[in-house]
Amino acid sequence: MGNNVNRMKWVSAFCSLTVATAVFAGCGKNSDESAGDSGKTGGDSGPVKITVMADLQTTEVPSDKIEKLLEEKTNAQFDIQWVPDGSYDEKFQAAFATGSLPQVVYLKNSASFVLLRDAIKNGQFWEIGPYLKDYPNLKNLNPQILKNTEVGGKIYTLYQERQPARSGLIYRKDWADKLGIPAPKTVDDLYNMLKKFKEADLAGGGKTIPLADRNDLVYGSFKTLSMYFGTPNNWGIQDGKLVPDFMTKGYMDTMKFMKKLRDEGLINQDFPVTSKTDQQNLMYTGRSGAYIGTMGDVKTMQEKTEKNVPGAVFDVTNEIAGVNGKPVTWGLSGYGTLIVFPKSSIKTEAELKKILGVMDQFYAADVANLLKYGVEGEHYTMKDGKVLPVSDSKLIEKEVRPYLNMALADTTNVKPSYYTMPVAEKANTLSNNAEKFMITDPTASLDSKTYNEKGARLQEQIKDATYQFIMGKIDEAGFQAAVKKWQNDGGQKIIDEFNESYKSSGGK
Amino acid sequence: MNNTALQGSPGAALRPKSGRWKRMVRNRYIYLMILPGLLYFILFKYIPMFGLIISFQDYQPYKGIMGSDWVGLEHFRRLFTDSEFWVIFKNTLVVFVVNIVFYFPVPIILAVMLNEVANSYFKRIVQTIVYVPHFLSWVIIVSISFVMLTMDGGIINELLAYFGFEPINFLMSSAWFRPIYVLQVIWREAGWGTIVYLAAMAAIDPGLYEAARMDGAGRFQQIWHITLPGIRTVVIVLLILKIGSVLDTSFEHIYLLLNSMNKNVAEILDTFVYTAGLKQGQFSFSTAVGLFKSVIGLILVMFSNWLAKKFGEEGIY
Repeated sequence: MGNNVNRMKWVSAFCSLTVATAVFAGCGKNSDESAGDSGKTGGDSGPVKITVMADLQTTEVPSDKIEKLLEEKTNAQFDIQWVPDGSYDEKFQAAFATGSLPQVVYLKNSASFVLLRDAIKNGQFWEIGPYLKDYPNLKNLNPQILKNTEVGGKIYTLYQERQPARSGLIYRKDWADKLGIPAPKTVDDLYNMLKKFKEADLAGGGKTIPLADRNDLVYGSFKTLSMYFGTPNNWGIQDGKLVPDFMTKGYMDTMKFMKKLRDEGLINQDFPVTSKTDQQNLMYTGRSGAYIGTMGDVKTMQEKTEKNVPGAVFDVTNEIAGVNGKPVTWGLSGYGTLIVFPKSSIKTEAELKKILGVMDQFYAADVANLLKYGVEGEHYTMKDGKVLPVSDSKLIEKEVRPYLNMALADTTNVKPSYYTMPVAEKANTLSNNAEKFMITDPTASLDSKTYNEKGARLQEQIKDATYQFIMGKIDEAGFQAAVKKWQNDGGQKIIDEFNESYKSSGGK
Repeated sequence: MNNTALQGSPGAALRPKSGRWKRMVRNRYIYLMILPGLLYFILFKYIPMFGLIISFQDYQPYKGIMGSDWVGLEHFRRLFTDSEFWVIFKNTLVVFVVNIVFYFPVPIILAVMLNEVANSYFKRIVQTIVYVPHFLSWVIIVSISFVMLTMDGGIINELLAYFGFEPINFLMSSAWFRPIYVLQVIWREAGWGTIVYLAAMAAIDPGLYEAARMDGAGRFQQIWHITLPGIRTVVIVLLILKIGSVLDTSFEHIYLLLNSMNKNVAEILDTFVYTAGLKQGQFSFSTAVGLFKSVIGLILVMFSNWLAKKFGEEGIY
């Protein structure tokens, strides 16, 4: 018995030890965090401590080489939390809900921004508009783009510059040449090209999939194609009133076109569930001859495809005419993504000013070049006054590429790129030219309470119906029923609110 | 409780309350051992329940639970009047039924078959092979299925074409969603599920089999009259546990299979909570949906426990 009791004592000691460790571990973490918090605010001297949440679009977290240089140049100490692109929005929402967002938060894209408008209006984030004039670079930000980011007439965010109209067609020039097809100028040309690709079966064995698409109605083929059918960019003006794109004839025509492509086997049959990786693999392996998306992707596509398919040559175009006979494409509202400054983590105005001081330098040439290109002599060399990245693309991917998502300057204050590949330069030129004929979203700076609340969820219904139409699961009446349902579930309110906002902003 | 009552001193029967306390004091070290488990449940299961309050609020993160406005049953009203709600509710129950009816018996059959294998090397090899899929994540299993089932060069559709059949759009069809779902569950979990049954079978007295053989019982008669009754209690307990967990464990798997085309059968309460709550920031509404789901789960477990007792089994409480 005594033996037993002794053993029991050991057991209980062990148990309480386990529990104690667990409790202390919890405390330890908390005290760490609070130490970090006080560090951020305390002391005027020394580097500014900044916590950041950034979107990681590569597979691995980068080495801290550039981070160190960035800290040197900006006299700040960064604590960057890299969140994988695939789960960025979820992670953001979770951190937001629990009040644990860091001080500088990159949003995933403009769609994420819409979901935040309500919280912004409720004073959850710092308004930074009044401070911009005090900083050498921030005061020079483009007022038109800032206007597009306004919420209730106030500025809360800094924007990341992006070429606004990068979308276009990438296709196999060697295939087109072999079949005697010139660069497509109309959507009919495009259709005929795809059809000839299929008939000629240049991939062999009946395996040719002329157009490779993926599960994305915006950055995949659908939206770009819809422009050729006269569809507006998200919202358009009909008879002086704003209407959503899916209530226009152009949208219906685009769906019919996509359905035709699928029925005739001119597009991958499973495109609504195809990932971007699988889509690009169709190109890399030489099974597909056309790709609609960011034209700049042509560089990687050329490099990767010619390894598998010797003789593969790509070309790009975005000069495909719309219903009025002139080239047309869609454009972003001038920014790639935005950063917000949560009040939950930036406690005082003084702290905000310090952080803005650091972010200001992101637009200056020195930091902008570092984030976009890396270190001269290591990641790139200068040729004719232009940046030529080193040939070791793995090194770039590992050390530089992730920081591109943190870079805020992309067009102003950065050195021009030197293109070793003419087609990549062409893609860049075409994107620049497209700014003249691109169509932008008229609701970018407008506001609708209902849209902020449930616009995203309602949009999901339209997305489903669009796919179902293309797959032949519902007909035109079925699609109209889905639109009707959208209107009844709150869509009509969105239309009314946007129109009201549109009127009060002067109808422009 | 039954066991401790048996061990109790004679006095316990006379003064049950103080007797129980005495026993607890005497066995205090044993009781101490449940402390870590108890703490786990308090910390991670009971304290978070406090958060359920937000399903009756219009929760705004910056106002906090104390500061958010109360809206009563507004979120539940929205849920029950949502045009999609009944479809989602039905889908959830169907996933549940499909799991119980088509998946649950498979490990039992597999365990019986393994139990009948005489060659122990062969048995161990088979066991190892059927356990392996359990350690693959759903992402991998769904991806493998995707590659096999796609219409753009998937092996199944290539085979169908080779034998002259029309290709089948497995991935985006409402009709194929449930079969694919349950086959994947069986493929991943059936082997792992046999472990407990095999252990229970090992505990059956070999004398019973001997006696049965003497009486001239064949293989199937032995299985029917000895093996299966021998594991009956385990089967019932596992069934009740399964009923309690099915509603929670299917999320990741189904979310991966979900797409615009099969949404009418594949959207379940959990995926709905995820898209509405985490992706679109409707915290209060999704908490309300989650609470509703938990109530369903509780009812199912209580019902099955009651049923088990009706049939003279022990149940789990």
